[in-house]
Amino acid sequence: MSEVNHDDLLNVDNIHTFIGQFHILEGVSVRVKKGSITVMLGRNGAGKTTTLKSIIGLTPPREGKIIFDGMEIQGKRPYNIANLGIGYVPEHRAIFRQLSVLENLKLAERKKGDFERSSEFIFKLFPDLKRLYKLPGNHLSGGQQQMLAVARALVPENKLLLIDEPSEGLAPILIQQMMEAIETLSHTTTILLVEQNFIMASQLAKQYVIIDDGKSVSSGSIKDLVLQPEVIHRYLGASIKTRKELEMEHGSEE
Amino acid sequence: MDRRNKRILQTTLIIVVVLGIIVSLYLYAGQRAFVSTIFSGLTLGSLFFLVAAGLTLIFGLMDVLNFAHGSMFMLGAYIGWQFYTNPTFIFGVAPLALAFGTGVMFISVLKPYLIAWNLTPRMQKLLPTIAYILAAVVIVFAVLGFDILGLANTAMVAMTTTTVGNPLAEISPQEPLAEFWIRPVLMMLGGLLIAFGSSKPGDKTQYAPKENLGKAMLLPAILLVVTVVSIFIRESAPVSVLLMNGNIRFLLSILVSVAFGFVFGAVIEIILIRPLYARPTFIILMTLGLSYVIRELVQFLWDPLTYQMARPPLFAMPGKAASIGEWLQNGNSTIDILGATVPTYRLFIIALGIVMFALVTLLMTKTRLGMIIRAGVQDPEMVEAMGINVKSVFTLVFALGVALATLGGIGAAPFLPVQPLMGDAYQTQGLITVVIGGMGSYVGAFVGAMILGMARAFGDYFALKLSLSPAIAEASTVIIMVIVLLTRPQGLFGSKE
Ligand SMILES: Nc1ncnc2c1ncn2[C@@H]1O[C@H](COP(=O)(O)OP(=O)(O)O)[C@@H](O)[C@H]1O
Ligand SMILES: [Mg+2]
Repeated sequence: MSEVNHDDLLNVDNIHTFIGQFHILEGVSVRVKKGSITVMLGRNGAGKTTTLKSIIGLTPPREGKIIFDGMEIQGKRPYNIANLGIGYVPEHRAIFRQLSVLENLKLAERKKGDFERSSEFIFKLFPDLKRLYKLPGNHLSGGQQQMLAVARALVPENKLLLIDEPSEGLAPILIQQMMEAIETLSHTTTILLVEQNFIMASQLAKQYVIIDDGKSVSSGSIKDLVLQPEVIHRYLGASIKTRKELEMEHGSEE
Repeated sequence: MDRRNKRILQTTLIIVVVLGIIVSLYLYAGQRAFVSTIFSGLTLGSLFFLVAAGLTLIFGLMDVLNFAHGSMFMLGAYIGWQFYTNPTFIFGVAPLALAFGTGVMFISVLKPYLIAWNLTPRMQKLLPTIAYILAAVVIVFAVLGFDILGLANTAMVAMTTTTVGNPLAEISPQEPLAEFWIRPVLMMLGGLLIAFGSSKPGDKTQYAPKENLGKAMLLPAILLVVTVVSIFIRESAPVSVLLMNGNIRFLLSILVSVAFGFVFGAVIEIILIRPLYARPTFIILMTLGLSYVIRELVQFLWDPLTYQMARPPLFAMPGKAASIGEWLQNGNSTIDILGATVPTYRLFIIALGIVMFALVTLLMTKTRLGMIIRAGVQDPEMVEAMGINVKSVFTLVFALGVALATLGGIGAAPFLPVQPLMGDAYQTQGLITVVIGGMGSYVGAFVGAMILGMARAFGDYFALKLSLSPAIAEASTVIIMVIVLLTRPQGLFGSKE
């Protein structure tokens, strides 16, 4: 079923994941080509976050294989998986609120000197963080927290970034900034991105995979997807928002 | 801005009320009684802190409420007292415990090979069971005939005579090395068997790389060396320890107690708590049960008696010192502070509490481990997803927490009667401290402990002065807890979550 493809940095092969006794993922396959952005689409509750958590090992799959960089990683402990070179940016800006910006970044070091090496790049990407580096995380605004969450994954050298809904709840201007940052990152790192904002996603990503009801139902090149409005409508339906709708929704925020 | 003003107002109000209470107590009790009660309060507060610090860190990080913490405090007192009074028993048991630990630690070396075995599912289940049964047999065989009870009895005799006679005379002859060596060897075999069983041979879903085998060898190798050394010094060490200066011996007792607490805590976390993280209620029941097991074990080893540990020479000479200089020179048992007579050993306990608070603060704010703990209190999964082995951090924190409790125990031993129930009051007060200070906050634990210590001390003072029931002091701490819970449910320093 899955022929070996050396372009694939990550190959999630038909995984089944349970949370407690709930069968959440019932066959998800995702392939991420080296050196590009792959976007994961799907309605709320489809299983996108659970797929990312299965990859990083927080909700290990009960069946199926996950091959990263030529190595089977399913069943390994999350810290082992992360140390292979996977950075995880969780949804809802899950930074450490009791820690300062600097401590959040320092904590992400996997070996000494990681932060020294990467700080210049990080602060160029998110200049706000440099200004705020002494503040505790819970004093940051939503947008700043999201930037910190992404920045944290950039401290160690990662081959793959898993980024879960980075634009969620941000003002349009910040969404734009975030997307530009992710575009910059994609020049040096492979990215698997979960993004509800279809317009943004289609501008950034080369490949897509759609998750629906715990199964991966469609995947391929994003160029092809744009030409299939019936697929978009069927699986993404209400979750697709045009830029205009987004702006109306978030206009009053921040 | 409005919120800020409100906070400033609140803080001022609290400061005014606290100052008011202090001044009226001072005026009411008079300087002498006030000062000496304050020092009693600080002493109790320091001991409460040593218990509560571990409780609160362990709860904050792993959501584990350790109901055996008071028993571990008590165990720390016994171990330290035993080492101070007559270390024969401890040096006699150490080789066995160390050998067993060495065997268990070889798991990190064995595991990568064992899980690669090709076994049928049935064998995968059967092999660990066989290993555990064999381990039990081997261990019983190693210990059987070993005169644990006899040694403990000697220790007791030594204790009752130390104050008068020479403990050296009480050391009983021990099994010669030519016969003894087989016991640690068997214990090590038992440990290896347990390591074999718990590494689940053939279970390929586990992950254990062979690459870092050199690193994995390090700890067992060190332990092996220590074990061998402990076998050879078993007979000579007790004598040399007893010949030491009493103050140094006391310092060593503290170190032994802390080291014991650390290892004991690590072992408990790995063997008993780790398998239960998914079932929090089971953990509570398990720690409750463990507290009884520890108490029974102590009664078995040392008999259900009450011992009084002699104070080290620095705090032993009868008579009151006029100044700190005089005390340090002569080793007086009391000292004059602002007209009040304060036992010098209390100053030691207070210093212990304050120094440990400073060290915990340094650990939490200045080290990477502290950063990991603070982050883990909020979201251990995310810490793990960043590449940090959270399980081993859990073990480390549990071990450190228990080490603080055993430190409290040996600190309290020359001050409290050493008996199997001595930890119970500290368990309760520690829990109340944690609730008052806020779950997971070490600063809260310190402030809460000092508040409770003061409440106890002044409660006792008033009970005595006004001929009330002494229960009023105990009740006062509960009343404080209720007031805090009503006004600030998350505790004084707890975060809202
Ligand atoms: N801890 C949990 N317990 C039970 N069900 C869960 C849990 N976490 C997620 N789910 C369920 O799993 C499904 C997928 O969730 P998720 O992966 O978060 O979706 P998405 O990220 O695509 O919005 C949802 O139906 C959700 O209700
Ligand atoms: Mg999600």
